[in-house]
Amino acid sequence: MTYLSKTFILVAGLTLSACSQPDRFGDGNTTDLNAAGAGGVVAGSASDPTSPLYFQQAVGDRVLFAVDQSTLSPTAMATLDGQARWLMTNVEYNGIIEGHADEQGTREYNLALGARRANAVSEYLIGKGVSPARLKVISYGKERPLEICSEESCYAKNRRAVTVISAVPTS
Amino acid sequence: MTSAAAEAGGAVNTGQIISGAGHAGLIAWAVFGGTFNADPLPFEVTEVTAISAEEYAALTAPQSRPEAVANIDTPEAPEAGDAPTLSSEADSAPAQAEPEATPQTEPDAVPEAVAPVPEPEIAETPPEPPAPQEDVAVLAPEISARPQAREAPRVAPEPMAPPEPDVRIDEVERQESAPDPQAETRQPDEEATAPEEATTEIVTEAEKAEQAAPSRSLRPRSRPAAPAPSEDAPTQTAQPEQPAAPQTDDSAVADALAEALGQAGATGTSGTPQGPPLTAGEKDGLRVAVQRCWNVGSLSSDALRTTVVVAVSLNRDGTLSGDVRQLSAQGGSGDAARQAFEAARRAILRCGAGGFDLPPEKYDHWREIEMSFNPESMRIK
Amino acid sequence: MIQRLAWLLMVALCAALPATAQEREGPLRIEITEGVIEPLPFAIPDFVGDDTTAADWGARISRVVASDLTGTGLFREIPASAHIGRITSFSSPVQFTDWTPINAQALIVGAVSVDDAGKLIVRFRLYDVFAGQELGQGLQLVGTTDGWRRIAHKVADQVYSRLTGEAPYFDSRVAFVSETGPKDARQKRLAIMDYDGANVSYLTDNSSIVLAPRFSPSGDRVLYTSYESGFPRIYVLDVATAGRRVLESNDGTMSFAPRFAPDGRTIVYSLTQGGNTDLYTMDIGTGQAQRLTTAPSIETAPSYSPDGSRIVFESDRSGTPQLYIMPAGGGEAQRISFGQGRYGTPVWSPRGDLIAFTKQSKGRFHIGVMRTDGSEERLLTASFLDEGPTWAPNGRVIMFTRETQGAQGRASLYSVDITGRNLKQVPTDTGASDPSWSPLQK
Repeated sequence: MTYLSKTFILVAGLTLSACSQPDRFGDGNTTDLNAAGAGGVVAGSASDPTSPLYFQQAVGDRVLFAVDQSTLSPTAMATLDGQARWLMTNVEYNGIIEGHADEQGTREYNLALGARRANAVSEYLIGKGVSPARLKVISYGKERPLEICSEESCYAKNRRAVTVISAVPTS
Repeated sequence: MTSAAAEAGGAVNTGQIISGAGHAGLIAWAVFGGTFNADPLPFEVTEVTAISAEEYAALTAPQSRPEAVANIDTPEAPEAGDAPTLSSEADSAPAQAEPEATPQTEPDAVPEAVAPVPEPEIAETPPEPPAPQEDVAVLAPEISARPQAREAPRVAPEPMAPPEPDVRIDEVERQESAPDPQAETRQPDEEATAPEEATTEIVTEAEKAEQAAPSRSLRPRSRPAAPAPSEDAPTQTAQPEQPAAPQTDDSAVADALAEALGQAGATGTSGTPQGPPLTAGEKDGLRVAVQRCWNVGSLSSDALRTTVVVAVSLNRDGTLSGDVRQLSAQGGSGDAARQAFEAARRAILRCGAGGFDLPPEKYDHWREIEMSFNPESMRIK
Repeated sequence: MIQRLAWLLMVALCAALPATAQEREGPLRIEITEGVIEPLPFAIPDFVGDDTTAADWGARISRVVASDLTGTGLFREIPASAHIGRITSFSSPVQFTDWTPINAQALIVGAVSVDDAGKLIVRFRLYDVFAGQELGQGLQLVGTTDGWRRIAHKVADQVYSRLTGEAPYFDSRVAFVSETGPKDARQKRLAIMDYDGANVSYLTDNSSIVLAPRFSPSGDRVLYTSYESGFPRIYVLDVATAGRRVLESNDGTMSFAPRFAPDGRTIVYSLTQGGNTDLYTMDIGTGQAQRLTTAPSIETAPSYSPDGSRIVFESDRSGTPQLYIMPAGGGEAQRISFGQGRYGTPVWSPRGDLIAFTKQSKGRFHIGVMRTDGSEERLLTASFLDEGPTWAPNGRVIMFTRETQGAQGRASLYSVDITGRNLKQVPTDTGASDPSWSPLQK
């Protein structure tokens, strides 16, 4: 079985609209930081620098891209530097990098474009010392927009790569 | 893997049975279909088998998530014995008088016109002042404001404004016939009709989007020369029969004039020694009369690459004598040639139903006509 | 006056010539190059039945036939209210004079009976009214009442084919993605329906994203992309049983945009590894894969030529997405799109002569067609977002996805004739995207 299926399910007390996709992972067998649930874990609060919520909110879990581009902006690199530091410190977590595109493009091309973006992030993190074995990439193309308006203000937020972290299998 | 396959197989067992029956039917149909072409009987028989929506829903609806690696065993086709029984023998032909069998040599094979049409009808050049619809065409603001081709269900050589709503669409534009108090016999009341709304080319959505700037204007109406309006009394047919003999003067003059004007050059190869040949205007009138019924809108792309030449024989009153015959076809496949011919035939039969308006005194010149239908320019509209 | 003299002079000259035109015998010749393009008017009186049950089936079947024909945009039905004549018996000769006055140029006459086993027996004949003759042979179709719509489609196919010269296509299905829910949490299910939107059934549930189903050449299987495993993978699904299996792929890769080769055994698809998307083929029987492209650019949306010798695909190797053609085994690719804009999702026509594509230009999306050398590009549609064309089995009609703008944006299916006429929505109960037109059913 894959390591994903043994992933510890972390339940966070907060729901972030940013990641409220119901089927981010079809199996539901991996960490969904946004799954609303009972039983808040104190150690997982956003003020705990080892928590995924801290990663998401304080470090910043996403970087944005220009139209049709997968190159990292200086802002994006700064965010990724933080992500790399966090991942280096918190080795009990792995990351899945999700690439996304805005709706202006064909489905297939956007899938490939999202993969390019996710890969750009992955390569940057690896360059900063994160083990390749701890990172996976996936593209959603234009299938999972964050913002739903058909204007550049929304498109800009949808052209993104999000690093989703999950606890490493305990065994 | 194997057990997963078995599991998956078990899960869809009933589905397989149902689908198996369906498959058997299809196979039976396919087998039966083999006789399809060989069957010389009037009816060809085919079997359509389909599983019902309910069956389909039953076998697909309660979808359980399968193992990602589950193998699909394509259900084997069950024995043909499961197949629904087929009525394999051809259906007895209904005792029907084959329409083709009826000899149709005389004009009565051509159905009479929509209504008795008393006037000659070259719609393009009504001798009267323009009909009200014409005014509409000229004044319609959308035309003056937007000179591009509009969208209309009909594409014709010349644009036509939408008809008034309660006017019946007809090939031929008619005035409403007012009863003429002077006339002894009342003419049948004729409903006013109007030509259908038409545009000059197909307007795609993409082109509509582009229409911010005017890119082309309407083609000017090509005005065919008016047909000689003089002798429209067909009773005088005796006159032109008088062999005007090699008294060539008249014909030579006309011919030479036409030649000199470059009007008849291309098509002016025909002619008999008897009487003057048709003027370019008269030919044009015939051409226009046929082309407004030549509808290529339902032809395949292949048929639209096919030029057919057909021959018709006319009676002295302009009606058809005998069948429209195909002389040649060029460009498309055999099937395409058939459809192209049929469209040409429909054009001649429909617009010639009331007889073509041709000068009777020149009958010998148009007794036999060859018409070539070349859709080249209609292909990319 | 001087002119007149000149004429006379010329006349004299012409008359003197020995072989002038008027001495040659022969028919009058005219050439017709301009016609009209409009729907052909036809009449289809309700098919007659021996009893009320059969007559009821007759009415339903003739309605579907009429709807198929008018739906092409090539035909126009003359409504029953305008009919002068009545067809009361299938075996009596047709009175063509009843149909010429209403300008019915084609007439379809049929009869329905129900046999002892409850099967429908449908007979019909097609007439060219103005020629006063039957076109082709009468046909009889036998089938279950459940399949009555298919019988009707087959009748319509025969008529359509006989009148237009095009191959038939009504008796076909469309696989598509049914969409529900808001734009940021859209739920997708694989679904299949008749080409006209009837008889919808679902092939998957909505628990994971599914994309772009593609029919096999025989119509028995569908390839599609699903996130079922968490990552995009290609699945092959048996249409009759809805059973499915995932095709092999390595961890850390994504595979998508699959299409069958004409052999029904090989597929071509995109595989992404390390952020680079290339084209591969796979024998889905053995799982043996072969890499076709190696460029660092994106290569996706491949489609085989009908003879299987070439592949058209989308690549941004030039800087923007454009269309290319290469041999089916890989090798040098020729760019075929050179217009302004971005091109994607090329699909080879089943006739082989045209390639349909999506084009993005000046903020609009278009569905267009071009010849296989890239010439004669013609855009058929324009909207906020059109994409993913699929060809009717006869290569005459294209179906595609159209998505509306804004937060409430919704996807639906549209079809358009390759002339650009007859653009219309295909009715679906839910949102719908990514259509794939099946081959003609057997």
